[in-house]
Amino acid sequence: MTLLELDDVSVYYGRIQAIHNMSFTVEEGEIVSLIGANGAGKTTTMKTISGLLNPTTGTIKFMGEDITKMKAHIRVVQGISQAPEGRGIFPAMTVLENLDMGTFGRKDRSGVGEDLERVFDLFPRLKERVKQYGGTMSGGEQQMLAIGRALMSRPKLLLLDEPSMGLAPQFIRQIFKIITEINSQGTTVLLVEQNANQALARAHRGFVLETGEITHSGTGKELLANPAIKEAYLGVG
Amino acid sequence: MIPTILMAAPVANDWITLDFVSLGQNFWSATFDGLTFGSIYALVALGYTLVYGVLNLINFAHSEVFIMGCYAVFFTLSFLGFGPSAPNLGIGQIVVNLLLALLAAIVASALTAFLLERLAYKPLRKRNAPRLVFLITAIGASFTIQYLIFLWRGPVPEQALTMFQTKPIFEVFGTIIYSDQILIVTAAVIMMVVTERFISKSRTGRGIRAVAQDPDTATLMGVNKEKIIITTFVIGGILAGAAALFYVMKIPSGVVYNGGFILGIKAFAAAVLGGIGNVRGALLGGLLLGLIGNYGQILLGNSQWTDVVAFLVLVLVLLFRPEGILGTSLGRSKA
Ligand SMILES: Nc1ncnc2c1ncn2[C@@H]1O[C@H](COP(=O)(O)OP(=O)(O)O)[C@@H](O)[C@H]1O
Ligand SMILES: [Mg+2]
Repeated sequence: MTLLELDDVSVYYGRIQAIHNMSFTVEEGEIVSLIGANGAGKTTTMKTISGLLNPTTGTIKFMGEDITKMKAHIRVVQGISQAPEGRGIFPAMTVLENLDMGTFGRKDRSGVGEDLERVFDLFPRLKERVKQYGGTMSGGEQQMLAIGRALMSRPKLLLLDEPSMGLAPQFIRQIFKIITEINSQGTTVLLVEQNANQALARAHRGFVLETGEITHSGTGKELLANPAIKEAYLGVG
Repeated sequence: MIPTILMAAPVANDWITLDFVSLGQNFWSATFDGLTFGSIYALVALGYTLVYGVLNLINFAHSEVFIMGCYAVFFTLSFLGFGPSAPNLGIGQIVVNLLLALLAAIVASALTAFLLERLAYKPLRKRNAPRLVFLITAIGASFTIQYLIFLWRGPVPEQALTMFQTKPIFEVFGTIIYSDQILIVTAAVIMMVVTERFISKSRTGRGIRAVAQDPDTATLMGVNKEKIIITTFVIGGILAGAAALFYVMKIPSGVVYNGGFILGIKAFAAAVLGGIGNVRGALLGGLLLGLIGNYGQILLGNSQWTDVVAFLVLVLVLLFRPEGILGTSLGRSKA
């Protein structure tokens, strides 16, 4: 089943067009990676899907329903959850309070305890730090918290905006491993990355974004093997 | 040529004198009265602080949210038959009447805050207006409400009403504590504690803190930012309405179109002193400002200097602690 569908979406900042007629789909159960250099429009795409930005043209469908006009805070309840770029940790809330914020829109309070256990299984570090303030955590810990918090709404679609940004290599490997694990537990993932190597290796399918336009698409393996992409994004050539 | 005003100015040796003897004699009465006024400042300061927390906006029109409450108190009590001299009623009847006045004030102030946000600020947010435009709008809204009241009621303060005959309750350090002081400080502290608990424990309170710390991420968590903003304005209005009842109790002649201005400035100063955006800071700043003002007044023997002293202290504190005494995070105000 098609979970997410963008059709001919264009997004502007004032008069500047950041996304040009973008169309793609995310199927249920997939990891889809969106690869692009700095300023390519990855974050803009994510914010448009989560509803923080509104497209000027085009439609966005989620589980077959047109959500183009739906308010961002309602999209969370519908099952779209985002770990934003820069992690967006509430600095003056503890780890537990941050995780609890992830359940803000939830109607079924009964499932919360179960999901908290699941997040603690994925990120044991968070369990040790429940009382620590978010603002005092390291970058890697904050990223774990951001992903864990996004899972607390029990999303159907998890949006991850550059989870590897600013992290040490061992953290990056760990984060990608956990993303695969989350996916195998049944959550569909749309991943945005500059770290193309790992993101494509983990993905079922991928897209390459250049100045607001999709220029390449294919399976993760195909894109990894593509010489043009190798040269531009994988640091080999 | 020397301006006449300077020639006439009595730059005598009593221009500024520090009367430590009076301060020593009146220290405790100044303290108790300072805490009373400080509680009122603190209640109003909370309105500035909460709105600043979620919108990063200094809502200058909050002083008018407050004065609308004062008018509601005046009209309610006039309607209930109160006049310049103390009413000849039993304590139960007085309590009922004051509760009615409190309710009216809370409704009037909360409604003013609600309309202010809906008519003045929300349209600006829709247009993504820059910060400065919000600030100018806040000042403009403040003047607009003042002049609307002026057109309606004219320049003369409303008749001073007496709510009850203040009674000495007990003596501490040789100083009598009066019923109104106890009532105001107790009620204000209870309201502030309830507010603090609400912000740190309730679901709406978590939403308020989340929006204050990171509005976009809060939205991604499912927080309806617009609902949080309007709720915050209304909470500020409720607290200002309560402050209005206490203020008219202490200063019955204060119900006039621009009567909120000075009190608003002081409450804002109190919020900054404690750390704007910080709920506990508003309480601390309010009480400190009340005390400093009263001590300064006795020390300098002239009430005109009260405000100057209070602001001097404010500037000094900010020089050393630009974030205010407790810091500026609404989130950090939690337990
Ligand atoms: N708030 C904004 N106002 C104006 N332009 C913006 C804004 N945010 C991003 N842009 C521009 O939109 C383009 C895409 O940005 P972004 O989506 O953040 O890229 P990426 O996430 O791929 O690095 C860039 O040219 C960027 O400068
Ligand atoms: Mg980005």
